[in-house]
Amino acid sequence: MRGRPLLYTSYEADQSMLNTTTKKVLLGLFLGFLVFLPFTGGAKSSGSRLFDFSIPIVGFLSSNDYLQLLATVCVFAIGALGLNLLTGVAGQVSLGHSFFMGVGAYTAVWLGAPQGPLLGMGLPIWIWLPAAGLVPAIIGVIVGPVAVRVRGLYLAIVTVGLVFIGEYVFRNWRSLTGGSQAGRSFQELDVRLWKEETPLIEISQNGDFLSTNGKGFLMLLGFLVLFTVIAKNLQRSRAGRAFQAIRDRDVAAEIMGVNEFRYKLIAFGISSFLAGVSGALLTAFLGRTIPERWDLILAVQFIAIILIGGAGTVSGTLMGAAFVVMLPRVVQNFTEWMKSAIDEGGFIATIADPIVVTSPTDGGIINTLPGVGPGLSVLQANQVLYGLLIVGFLIFEPLGLYGIWLRIRNYWKGWPFTY
Amino acid sequence: MRAKSRWLALLLVLGLVLAACGGDSGTETEGDDTTTTTAAPSGDDETTTTEATGDEPMEVATDFGVDLDAGLIRVGMLSDLTGPFGPLVSAIVAGAQAYWDDVNANGGIEGLEVELVVRDTVYVVDTHIQFYNEIKDDVVALGHSTGSPHTVALNADLQADGMLAIPLTWYSGWSDSAINSNLLSHGQPYCIEAQNTIGYISDEVLGGASTIAIASLPGDYGQDSAAGAKIAAEALGLEIVYDGEAAIIPTDESAITSVANGIASSGADIAWVATTPGTFSAIFGQALAAGYQGIWSGPSPSYSPAYVAPDSPIKDAIAASFIGGTYTAGWTTEGAEAFHGILEAAGLPLSDYYFEGIVEAKILEAALRQAFANGDMTRQGVLDAAKSLENVDFGGIAPSESYVGADNDRLQRQGYIYAPDPEGLAAGTSGGRIDLETNYTHEIAANYEFTGACYTLAG
Amino acid sequence: MTAAIPIIAQVAGGEGHFASALSEGLSLGAIYALLAMGFVIIFKATQVLNFAHGALSALGAFLVASFATLVNIPGRFLPETVPHWLGWSLSALFALIAAAAAGMLLERVFIRPMVGEELFAVAIVTLGIDIALRNVTNDFIGTDPRPLGDPWGTKVLDLGWITFAHTEIAQIVVSVVLVSAVALFFRSRTGIAMRATAFDQEAARAQGINVGRIFSISWAIGAVLAAVAGVFISVFPRRSAGVDTATAFFAFKALPAIILGGLDSVIGAIVGGFGIGIAEAFVGEFVTFPALGFGFAGIVPYLVMLLVLIVRPYGLFGTEEIRRV
Repeated sequence: MRGRPLLYTSYEADQSMLNTTTKKVLLGLFLGFLVFLPFTGGAKSSGSRLFDFSIPIVGFLSSNDYLQLLATVCVFAIGALGLNLLTGVAGQVSLGHSFFMGVGAYTAVWLGAPQGPLLGMGLPIWIWLPAAGLVPAIIGVIVGPVAVRVRGLYLAIVTVGLVFIGEYVFRNWRSLTGGSQAGRSFQELDVRLWKEETPLIEISQNGDFLSTNGKGFLMLLGFLVLFTVIAKNLQRSRAGRAFQAIRDRDVAAEIMGVNEFRYKLIAFGISSFLAGVSGALLTAFLGRTIPERWDLILAVQFIAIILIGGAGTVSGTLMGAAFVVMLPRVVQNFTEWMKSAIDEGGFIATIADPIVVTSPTDGGIINTLPGVGPGLSVLQANQVLYGLLIVGFLIFEPLGLYGIWLRIRNYWKGWPFTY
Repeated sequence: MRAKSRWLALLLVLGLVLAACGGDSGTETEGDDTTTTTAAPSGDDETTTTEATGDEPMEVATDFGVDLDAGLIRVGMLSDLTGPFGPLVSAIVAGAQAYWDDVNANGGIEGLEVELVVRDTVYVVDTHIQFYNEIKDDVVALGHSTGSPHTVALNADLQADGMLAIPLTWYSGWSDSAINSNLLSHGQPYCIEAQNTIGYISDEVLGGASTIAIASLPGDYGQDSAAGAKIAAEALGLEIVYDGEAAIIPTDESAITSVANGIASSGADIAWVATTPGTFSAIFGQALAAGYQGIWSGPSPSYSPAYVAPDSPIKDAIAASFIGGTYTAGWTTEGAEAFHGILEAAGLPLSDYYFEGIVEAKILEAALRQAFANGDMTRQGVLDAAKSLENVDFGGIAPSESYVGADNDRLQRQGYIYAPDPEGLAAGTSGGRIDLETNYTHEIAANYEFTGACYTLAG
Repeated sequence: MTAAIPIIAQVAGGEGHFASALSEGLSLGAIYALLAMGFVIIFKATQVLNFAHGALSALGAFLVASFATLVNIPGRFLPETVPHWLGWSLSALFALIAAAAAGMLLERVFIRPMVGEELFAVAIVTLGIDIALRNVTNDFIGTDPRPLGDPWGTKVLDLGWITFAHTEIAQIVVSVVLVSAVALFFRSRTGIAMRATAFDQEAARAQGINVGRIFSISWAIGAVLAAVAGVFISVFPRRSAGVDTATAFFAFKALPAIILGGLDSVIGAIVGGFGIGIAEAFVGEFVTFPALGFGFAGIVPYLVMLLVLIVRPYGLFGTEEIRRV
C-alpha cells in the first residue's frame, strides 16, 4: 500500500473520511496540538496552567484572549456546518441562519438560566443544549414547506424576511430576551447533573490546570469534532447524495425518485438544529447578548464563511470559519505593524505610509487614530476587505480556501512535474 | 484566466501569512510589548520619552499595564467609534487623547507616560467582551467603556480582575454602590438630567407648562431618561398626554412615524425625546410636518449640531424650539477656553464633545496620581485609589465629582442647559451650542431621594 | 372579531388618522416603488438580484449632498441670479449622472466576469459589493448626517383634511415622471433590445444586440432609480438631518414589494411598492394592541411577503417559471 495510496481495495476504504495515512497522521497531530495548547502558557496569563512554558512561534495562541477567539471559531464553525449542508450541499440558499441561532439561544436561556426576574428554569446543560437544537429544527421544518415552494433567489428573500420577523419577536418578548438594547445574561457552560450548587465540570471559573477560556475552548472543540464527523458522514450517506442531486438538477432528481420535498425539509431541519446549538453555545460562552445580535449582518457572515471556505465541503467550512472569525484580529495586527513600521522608518514604511493614517492631517486609507480622522476605521477596513474577499473568491476561486488548498496540494503532489 | 487566478490565490495566501506573522502580539503574554497598541501621541510628542526622575519611590507595586522601566502606563478604551453613538464617542476619545498628550508633554504621571489602547466595539456586546479579554492583560484600567448593557456584561469580569472602568453612559444605576464597585461614573444621570431640564423649561421658558409628551428608545439610556421625565412630570404637575417610552425602534420607519404622529396629535407643551440623532431628526421633522408647535427637549445624545448646520432644512425650526441638557461644558462655555489650546494643538476641529473625554481623562489622572502616591499601581491599587477620591476638580468644564460617601449624597445633581446656536456654527465660533445655565440644579432634582436606579436593567 | 370594533371606530371617527396614514402610505409607497423598479430592471436585464441596491441608494443621496452642498457644483459657477431651486436641480442632475456611472462601473468590474455562473453566486457577489460599498460610503458620509440642501425645506401644503409636505408632493410627481420615462424607454430601440435580452440572452445576441451594453445601461438605470429613492429617504420629514449611515439599510424593505409584484415585472414593482407602503402605514396607524409591542408595522411587509409566497409564489404580475430537465 505504501507506494500506491490511492489504490482502494474495499468500499469502506474508498468511502472512508481519512483515506490516506498522511491525513490520519496530520489530523492526529493537529488535534493533539489544539488539545495541548490551552494547558501551556502559564506565567503572566490570567489563570494558572498546567505547563508554564509557551510553545515556540504559535505559543501566543495560548493566551486567554486568543483562546476566546479560537472558541468563537469553534462555535461559528458548528453553525457554518449547518449552513453548508443546507446551502452548499443541498443548494437551498438561506440568509436566515441568524434567526435560527437566536431561537436556539433563547430556548437555551429559557430552560437553562437560573430563575430570576426574567424567564429561566435552571435546568442542566444536557437538557437545554439538545432542546436549543430541537426547537429551531422544528421551526425550520414548519417554515420549510413555504420555502420549498420557491427556489433560489425567492428562498433567499424569504429567509431575509424571517430574520426581520425574528428580530421583531425577540425585541418585544422582553421577559425572555431582556428587551431591545438591554439584553440579558445567559447561563454558564457548566455541566451539572441536576441544579446542584457545585457543577460536575466547572467551566466558568479558572481551574488549576486551565483557565476558564481554556476549558470552554476544549469543550467547544469537542462539540465541533462531534458535529464535523456527523456532517462528513451525512455527506456520504444516502441523504447526502440526495441533497447533492437536488442541488445539481432538482427536476432530474425528482424524476429519478428522490423525494425533493422530504429531503429539503430534512436539510432545513438539520441546518436549523446546528444553528440553534451554535447560538446557544455562543451566548453561554460569552455570557450576555442583546436581541439585535441576531440580525442580517450575522447571517451574511455565515454565508461568507461557507463561500470563502468552499461551499459544499466540510474542510472548507472549517477553514472559512477560522478565516472569517480571525480576520478582524489579523487586520488589526497588520495595521499596528504597519504603524510601528512607519515609526521606525525604512523600506516598509514607504509602502505602509499611504495606507495608514497617523495624524489628522496625514493621508491614507486606514485610520489608526483614536476617534475622528480621515480614512476608514479599522472596523470599516475590515468590512470592506470582507466584502471584497467575498467578491474576489466568487469570481476567481469558487471553491474558496479549500480550492486554494487543493491547488497547493496538487502542485506539490505533482512536483517537479507541475506543468 | 486559470494562471491569473492561481497567482492571485498564492498572493492572497502570502498576504495572509504575512499579516498573521506581522503582528508581534506573538509575545503578548508578556503584557507590556510596545508594539501592540493602536494609539500614538500626535507628531510632536514622539521624542518625549520622559526619564523617570531620580526621586521617585522605587517600591511602587505593579501588575498589569504599568511598566516602570519603559516609563509607560497603558489605559484601555472600549469605545463605540462607528456605531449608533459614533460621532459622540469619536470626539470624546479624541479629546481624551489630546488631554493625555498634554499631560505626557508636561511630565506625565510622575514621569510615566500614559498610552491609550483603543478598540472600536460598534456598540455590540460580544465585541465589547472580546476586546476586553484582548486588552485586559495589557492595561491597568479602562478609561472608557461605552454602553450600559456592555458595561454590565463586563462587571463580573471587572470584579474578578480588580479592574477599574469609567463607563461612558449616564445610567442612574451607576450611582448605586451595590452595582458600581469597579465603576467610576460621572455627570448627572439621565434621570436627573431629565428632571433638571424639564424643570428649567417649565419654569424659565414656558412660565408654567401643563402637558408633556415623552418618547424614548428602549433600554437603559432611553428608559432611564423617560423615568426621570415622569418623575419631573409628577413633581411639576404636568399631565403626560403621550407616553412613548421604549416606542422608538431605530430600524423601523412606522414606529418612528407613529411616535411623531403621537406627539403631534397630543399637542403637548413639552416633548421630551430620548434617542439617537438620526431618529430624533426623523421624529422632529415628521411631527413638524403634522403641525406640532411645542418645545422640544431631550438628553444630550438626542442632539447633534448637524441639525443647525447651514444647509439643514430644520435649522430654523430647531433653533426656535429646542432646549437641551447635558453633562459637561461645550466649546463656548466659560472655563472651557483653558482647554482650547490643547485641542487645537492636536489638530482637532471645533466641537462641543471633547470635554467629556477630558473629564474622563482627569478622573483617571487623579486616580493614577493617587495610586502612585500610595505606592500601589496594581489594578486593584488604582481602583482603591479611585474610590478614595473626593472632590475631583475639572477646571471649570464640569461640576466636581466625589467617590466617597452615601449614594444619595454623592449623586451628581448639577448639569448644563443649552440652546442650539446656528449662527455660531456657521461662523465657526461655536460647536452649535450656547449655554443657558451652567452647574444648574432644579428643585426637583435637588430634592430627589436616590434609592437605586430610576430604571432597573432586568437580567 | 370584537377586537376589530375599536379599529373600525377609529377609522370612522378619526379623520385625521386616516389622512395622515394615507399621506404617509403614499410617500413611503413611492420610495418603495422606486427601489423596487430599480431592482426589477436590473433583474430583468441581467438576471441578477442586486443586494447592493441599498448601498447604491445611500451613495446616490450622498452624491447629491456632495454636489449640492459640499463641493457646490455647478452652483459655484452660476451667476447669483439663478434661483436656488434651479441650481440645486442641476447639482442633483450631475449627481445622478455620477450615480449612473457608478452603477455601470460596478457592473463592468464585478458582474460581467460572473456571466454564466449560478444566479446564487452572482447574488452573493452583490452582497459582497453591498458590504464594501456601504462601508466606504458611510465613511465618506461621516458620523454626522449630511443635509441635502434641497429647495423644498420644511414647507407644507395644508389642505385642511390632509397635509402634504412639499417633499412628499415632489416625491409623487418625480415618481410619476420616472415611471412614465421608464415606460417610454421600453418602447425605444434600446428598450426593446433590453426586453429582448431579458427574454432570452442567447437569441438577443444572435440578433446582433450588444448584450454587454444592455447590461451596463440597465445597471445605470437601476442606480439612478436607487439614487432618487435615496434622496427621498433623506429629506424632510423622513430624515430631516440628511443622509446618514443608516440610509443604506432602507432598501431591504423593497424586497417584499418585488415579491408581491413579481420579480420580473416593472408594473408589479410599482403596484407592489405602493401596496406595501400603504399597508405598512395603515397598520402602523390603526393596529395598536399593546400585546403586539412596538414595531409591528415594520414587519408587515415581510408578513405580506410570506403570505404571497404561500398563495401565489410568482407574485401578482410575475411570469411563472417553467423548468425543464
